[in-house]
Amino acid sequence: FRFKDSLAQDLRGADLVISHAGAGSCLETLEQGKPLIVVINDKLMNNHQLELAKQLQSDGHVLCCSCSTLVETLQSMDLSTLKPFPPGQPEKFASFLDKVVEFQ
Amino acid sequence: TGGHTTEILRLLSCLSESYSPRHYIIADSDKMSEAKIRSFEQKRAETFSSSQFTLDRIPRSREVRQSWTSSVVSTLYSILYSLPLTYKLKPDLILCNGPGTCVPVCISALLLGLLGIKRAIIVYVESICRVETLSLSGKILYYFSDYFIVQWPNLKEKYPKSVYLGRIV
Repeated sequence: FRFKDSLAQDLRGADLVISHAGAGSCLETLEQGKPLIVVINDKLMNNHQLELAKQLQSDGHVLCCSCSTLVETLQSMDLSTLKPFPPGQPEKFASFLDKVVEFQ
Repeated sequence: TGGHTTEILRLLSCLSESYSPRHYIIADSDKMSEAKIRSFEQKRAETFSSSQFTLDRIPRSREVRQSWTSSVVSTLYSILYSLPLTYKLKPDLILCNGPGTCVPVCISALLLGLLGIKRAIIVYVESICRVETLSLSGKILYYFSDYFIVQWPNLKEKYPKSVYLGRIV
């Protein structure tokens, strides 16, 4: 498919997700608790998408690879090493903002 | 734009109704954010019936990878546009998270503050995607915002005046 409004339904049915390094795709997948392999586009220079993918990999939440190493990664991967991704906490932001506004 | 809108709506999700009315400003070329915002506000209105919001569009300041000189020109144009809008809205608090759209609005608010017309608190939250480096908007607004929030510890180290609350989206 080309573009869908939401991938939520497809994500729910998936056992493994292979995605580009876009933040939205990665985070949505991790929040659904699905194992994720991130394919990094090594042709894009100064690619800031890499920052998030690398951090997620170093925190043990995703596996990263490039297009050329994808097959090998799929063959040798051990998804049980992936750690669950805790959700973000917007309530901390709300508390912070409440204090900011209170003092003004 | 898309990702930024999703993030900012998550940031808004836990705010009380004191933060009302909410004025959303999006780029004129943005096709997806309006629907997301309306859907968020509609759900909110189900809980808080007196909930209010407005939505305005301004010219997009800069396309991805647009050249430096043409970016300055298009940003100035966006400022000319956002100044009367900001003057009309006279916000107490500006919350932004990184699209180029936020720079002209913040600059307008700073000007209004300098002129003694209205002083807004500017709170900038850098995107969750930014782990090691700041976005261009971030680099600019680090110096001009009242509170600059980052979501990863590396950035807190590099930008000591920033606030680190962990992941908040």
